Amino acid sequence: MGLLSILRKLKSTPDQEVRILLLGLDNGGKTTLLKQLASEDISHITPTQGFNIKSVQSQGFKLNVWDIGGQRKIRPYWRNYFENTDTLIYVIDSADRKRFEETGQELAELLDEEKLSGVPVLIFANKQDLLTAAPASEIAEGLNLHTIRDRVWQIQSCSALTGEGVQDGMNWVCKSVNAKKK
Amino acid sequence: MRLKRLLIRYYPPGIILEYVKGGELRNKSIDLLDLNPETDTEKLIREIQESEPLITESRTDQMRLLLRTLQEKLAKQDDRRFHQFKALQAHILPLTNVAFNKSGSSFITGSYDRTCRIWDTASGEELRTLEGHRNVVYAITFNNPYGDKIATGSFDKTCRLWSVETGKCFHTFRGHTAEIVCLAFNPQSSLVATGSMDTTAKLWDVQTGEEVATLTGHAAEVISLAFNTVGDQLVTGSFDHTVALWDVPSGRRLHTLIGHRGEISSVQFNWDCSRILTGSMDRSSRVWDSASGQCLATLSGHEDEVLDVCFDCTGQLIATASADGTAKVFSAATHECIAKLVGHEGEISKVCFNPQGSRVLTASVDKTARLWDVQSGVCVQVLMGHTDEIFSCAFNYEGDAIITGSKDNTCRIWR
Repeated sequence: MGLLSILRKLKSTPDQEVRILLLGLDNGGKTTLLKQLASEDISHITPTQGFNIKSVQSQGFKLNVWDIGGQRKIRPYWRNYFENTDTLIYVIDSADRKRFEETGQELAELLDEEKLSGVPVLIFANKQDLLTAAPASEIAEGLNLHTIRDRVWQIQSCSALTGEGVQDGMNWVCKSVNAKKK
Repeated sequence: MRLKRLLIRYYPPGIILEYVKGGELRNKSIDLLDLNPETDTEKLIREIQESEPLITESRTDQMRLLLRTLQEKLAKQDDRRFHQFKALQAHILPLTNVAFNKSGSSFITGSYDRTCRIWDTASGEELRTLEGHRNVVYAITFNNPYGDKIATGSFDKTCRLWSVETGKCFHTFRGHTAEIVCLAFNPQSSLVATGSMDTTAKLWDVQTGEEVATLTGHAAEVISLAFNTVGDQLVTGSFDHTVALWDVPSGRRLHTLIGHRGEISSVQFNWDCSRILTGSMDRSSRVWDSASGQCLATLSGHEDEVLDVCFDCTGQLIATASADGTAKVFSAATHECIAKLVGHEGEISKVCFNPQGSRVLTASVDKTARLWDVQSGVCVQVLMGHTDEIFSCAFNYEGDAIITGSKDNTCRIWR
């Protein structure tokens, strides 16, 4: 990667490149999702203390996905990465009901950010492989997603661990980018 | 003109003349870039005396002593091995760049956590935190050789000038419309140059904090810049595949160096200001004549993008680092490849020489930094410890301490 590659991924991207920001609370499964997208080994993932960037090809697009650490102390720094974002992916641990309120609040704050205004948002209701996972419909209701009117949005249930639902979500991302770039 | 005293300069080898002219104390340097332990000093002294009237017959003994001291220093075999002295939990987010002050007594680290921190090299203690930027602190530098000021360039589009002593911010330079990614003080420490993703470079007055000039003309991001040793020229490298040479006093463009077929990654002058070295994503490096703007040589051989290039402090050697995982050392005079540095298990993002010019230091994605013998190309040491890729590395002036900055949020001191 190196600093220079970060600069190259930072600049406003050409048409066929898409900048995707992957956010969500710590332990939501962002890095697992990123590695699943890049078909990498997901057996040893530790809390992200900074960020990871990976590029994946999908439907003629080069998706540059920025996975940003979600721990509370580093959430104020999410803002570092907002510039030139084409799509926001917000990852929720569907089995961690205790934190639904916290994750809803963080999402609401993100949607209020000026630099992310109008940016399509995909919400991954992750960890559906767990028996205790709440269904996507319940999360959508709890987070009042239906009140989002200033952008296109989608909620997709998935398991980053098994890969189920991940591709469906990414298909939606490509579709929404296509619609926007036209 | 009256000579006051003679001072020795080790890297690059030279003698500084302190003299009085018109009641004012001035100095100039005699560069001895070719000096080696075998140089005939008597002959050299005679040559110097012929060209430099300030070095009179009465100074011969003193000159002899200074040259011998320099030669002794140059003859010293440096088989030093480095050990990790400290791993500093420097920042809560990844580091960007690192830099030493001239003496090497302190160094600075920039980070995604929006701060720049000043560290004491000997103890590893944090001396100050420079807070104020609203986004990543990316480019950082001391105003060497003075070392009393620091300039920081940020993704928040501003550059800040700080006092090393108090940690106070003297000025915030506003005007760029995108991230600042490279900067430099001129050697007089009267100007700061900044390069930005907004495709321009700007010159700022250190005293007043005012913008002096905007250097426009690049068609894409300005990624790298450097002043020459005198401070009258600035070179900028851009993602638009070109390199521009600027006259600093007027802010006018002197030459556009065209030839690379990919984005420019790194630009630098050699010590005597006669040559410019550039690295490019087109997998090659080029050497240019700074007077004419002509390309003198293309250094090829890398199988992937060239990510960093540098001269050694005398300008006799060139090192190139590539995404192909290798680095190379070239002769600046003949442009021949002297050594191929093979061993890293991933791309090399930074390369630098030690001040003696005997070692090359490389920083890589493979989480190691490596030290190489310039002549043989043998890896003499692997600096292991970082748990994520290394973004930056630097030698101090004496060449007996190394700092590395990593994506693992730590900075490590090796000595």
